[in-house]
Amino acid sequence: MDWYPLYNSLRIALISSVIVFFAGIFAAYYIARLHPVLKGILDVFLTLPMVLPPTVVGYFLLLVLGSRRPFGSWFYEVFHTKLVMTWYSGIFAAVAVAFPLMYRTARGSFESFDETLAFSGQTLGLSNAYIFWHIRMPACRQGILAGVVLSFARALGEYGATSMLAGYTPGKTATISTTVYQLWRTNNDTLAFRWVMVNMAISAVVLLIVNLLERREGQRRT
Amino acid sequence: MKMKKNQMKRYLTIGAISSAAALAAIQSCAAGEETELVVFAAASMTETLTEIADLYKEAAPDVTLIYTFDSSGTLKTQIQEGADCDLFISAAQKQMNQLDITADAEVNTEGLDFVLEDSRFDLVENKVVLAVPEGNPAEIESFEDLGTDKLSLICLGNEDVPVGAYSEEILTNLGILDELAESSKITYGSNVKEVTTQISEASVDCGIIYATDAFSAGLTVVDEAGADLCGQVVYPAAVMKSSEHPDEAKAFLEFLTTDEAAAVFENVGFTMVKAGE
Repeated sequence: MDWYPLYNSLRIALISSVIVFFAGIFAAYYIARLHPVLKGILDVFLTLPMVLPPTVVGYFLLLVLGSRRPFGSWFYEVFHTKLVMTWYSGIFAAVAVAFPLMYRTARGSFESFDETLAFSGQTLGLSNAYIFWHIRMPACRQGILAGVVLSFARALGEYGATSMLAGYTPGKTATISTTVYQLWRTNNDTLAFRWVMVNMAISAVVLLIVNLLERREGQRRT
Repeated sequence: MKMKKNQMKRYLTIGAISSAAALAAIQSCAAGEETELVVFAAASMTETLTEIADLYKEAAPDVTLIYTFDSSGTLKTQIQEGADCDLFISAAQKQMNQLDITADAEVNTEGLDFVLEDSRFDLVENKVVLAVPEGNPAEIESFEDLGTDKLSLICLGNEDVPVGAYSEEILTNLGILDELAESSKITYGSNVKEVTTQISEASVDCGIIYATDAFSAGLTVVDEAGADLCGQVVYPAAVMKSSEHPDEAKAFLEFLTTDEAAAVFENVGFTMVKAGE
């Protein structure tokens, strides 16, 4: 059994989780403070990828990143690298679909954060960055953590947009989900089933970790 | 938020009336003379059969054609799984044989019996070609070039897609299939239209598709597979046993061999095969 899809899936999911983590919390932090109308508009726009079919997301991404589209062709001219049909194309797809999960859970946490804590920090002369990372983030730890786990799981399971952007090249762009589809299509049920089990094992481990963390959290509070 | 009781009642009444109306509409449809023919056809026939549907509307106004286009392998699986299908047109003999009890047991390994006796015949012939995106950025000029450094990524159908099987045959005959696969230069599409789109989007350097798809998509063809590289690409058509309208289905298949339909097929590059003559 060639383990490349596992390696590729994990690498795409991990990198996208990191990107989504920072992008999600900063978007949540700044948008939470905007004028309600602007906030409403941005909110819809940023959450859309979560409710749209992944194929629609893939279509939009192709319109931007495709080799003959403005950005894709500009990028190729400057860096001589295509943005589609490579292993990292999967990152674009995963980031797009996982971002709303991080953004929404983080915003929920930030909104329930007691702002007086931040104000007290300011009266003590702490910098905003310090308050953010040492007061706000720890207080919102649970929501943020849930967002990270959800994003990771979503990124790992991404199929639709990934198959449109990265295609299926064994040993190059193949992920667990695209591999399962191709194996099923080519009547290789045994191997497809093995990959399904691998995927289930990873997801089960992720959920287990979440449960353990939540329990620890609970113990700390009591 | 509580819905007022009388408001709720009103919604329920509206719901009941509209569902009753919908039911009545369905029944009146069934009572009419309309016949719906479900046609499963190879993805490479998308443009031609859609055009022929307009012609057939004039020839047989009572028949509505419902098309499903996908790779013949996918369609074969769907038929096998019990999809409603009156007619099947495959892009290779293999998928039709897998459903035909009169075919060799080595091909029809599951002993499937879906093809209606005496309804099967060879409809058209296609050519397998090497197509490149606009401007041919990788400067690939022939099948032989695929073994050189000019190629960084090629798109093929997977082995379950007829055009994918033909592509593998070509690359095997050239002795470069394993080499390309090992260096991860092959990306797989799940039907010929997907391969065509990858080429026209310039996501890949080139791809192996049918002459007809290259024509319909306006792609540049740089090479055509001759008899030394790849066997004949013949599309068999047949009525399915499960069809509730076998006579109408047969009539449509016959229409496909008329001069009127042949003109549509030949216009994009198909060659007509005269059945059993």
